[in-house]
Amino acid sequence: MSEFPGASWLDRYVARVNADPELAVIGDWLTTTFTLTFGDARHAVVVDKGRIVKLIDSPRFDVRAPFGFRAPIEVWRKFLSADPPPLYHDFFAMLMRVPEFVIEGDSLVAMQNARALHRMMNIMRETGAPNA
Amino acid sequence: MPEFEDITGRYLTVGIGGEQHRLFIEEAGRGIPLLCLHTAGNDSRQFRHVMNDKDVTDRFRVVAFDMPYHGRSTPPDKWWLKKPRLTTKLYLEIIRAVWTALGLERPVVMGCSMGGAIVLKVAADYQNEIRGIVGLESSAHAPGRYNDFLHHPAIHGGELCASYTYGLNSPYSPEQSRRENWWYYSQSGPGVYQGDVHFYSNDWDARDDIKSIDTGRCKVALLTGEFDYSCTPAMTEQVAAAIKGSRYTMMKRMGHFPMIENYPDFRPYLLDALDHVAS
Repeated sequence: MSEFPGASWLDRYVARVNADPELAVIGDWLTTTFTLTFGDARHAVVVDKGRIVKLIDSPRFDVRAPFGFRAPIEVWRKFLSADPPPLYHDFFAMLMRVPEFVIEGDSLVAMQNARALHRMMNIMRETGAPNA
Repeated sequence: MPEFEDITGRYLTVGIGGEQHRLFIEEAGRGIPLLCLHTAGNDSRQFRHVMNDKDVTDRFRVVAFDMPYHGRSTPPDKWWLKKPRLTTKLYLEIIRAVWTALGLERPVVMGCSMGGAIVLKVAADYQNEIRGIVGLESSAHAPGRYNDFLHHPAIHGGELCASYTYGLNSPYSPEQSRRENWWYYSQSGPGVYQGDVHFYSNDWDARDDIKSIDTGRCKVALLTGEFDYSCTPAMTEQVAAAIKGSRYTMMKRMGHFPMIENYPDFRPYLLDALDHVAS
């Protein structure tokens, strides 16, 4: 099991999301659970009105997550780097141009929340590179 | 006295394909006509910095218009009975109708994204009537952007289209400018952006047409942002390779919307391109 991006990074990410002034404005309707899979390591992000209320590592099958994002660690590492290369600088860019970055599950739910979800994914980048 | 900008906006009714279209047209400056074409699902506000740049407007009459269904242009009668679907043929008719109605003589035609695509066809078909083209983010064939969610009753179209295009900006462009473009995208009518992407990703293929462009008659300057993933630098390189005598420059740390996402960094590239096509 990989350590990437690591517990301290995930904690920083959660704190950043929950303190984000923009999500406080646009996050009211973002109540869902989605998964982030870094290589083999899967995490369920439980969101209530734009705030992350729980992060579940290696969720079991009774954790219901309508959608998620999965990619090899090398892809996530580029996305989270301080100077991301073109095509790796945005999750919509990766969905179009990086075949290893995939959306899993019901993409309709994801796109219904596109604005707040996009903000949440961009906060991943603003959290800084893991293991920096 | 209020400090108005030097841009003047007016409305003009133009016949296109047997229909009357009331179009919004704004302009600034005097000199060589520079007709500007906005991106899919957006409007002429994207060119506000170009129209407020004295170094441009001292030499060029900059004209930008909102495409039918876009911005402040009114959709044609019976719009509710058909889906907005832009095609290569219709797009060319619209441009030609505006250019003729305004009496623009030997204009330079500049467009971005879908506008950067169609200027290639304008150059191919009207190379004896224009000075040249400035293609921003120009591709001769750009599949992959069309999807059903862009117009879907269970999805807020404005927020999706704006978010879907937000990442096309470079991460290095000023946030205020990227957000401004997000706002313009969010204001598009239902299905309008999707209808434009139908042209851009489904209908558009000018890979043969561009081979006929004679840069001795019609100058071609191509500018593409390093971070553009809709029209990648490699896609514009293919266009440049097919047009002998064309000039292509990749803009470092720039995205898909240079004229609105980061005008200060775009400006030197633009002035250089305009020098080239107007010479």
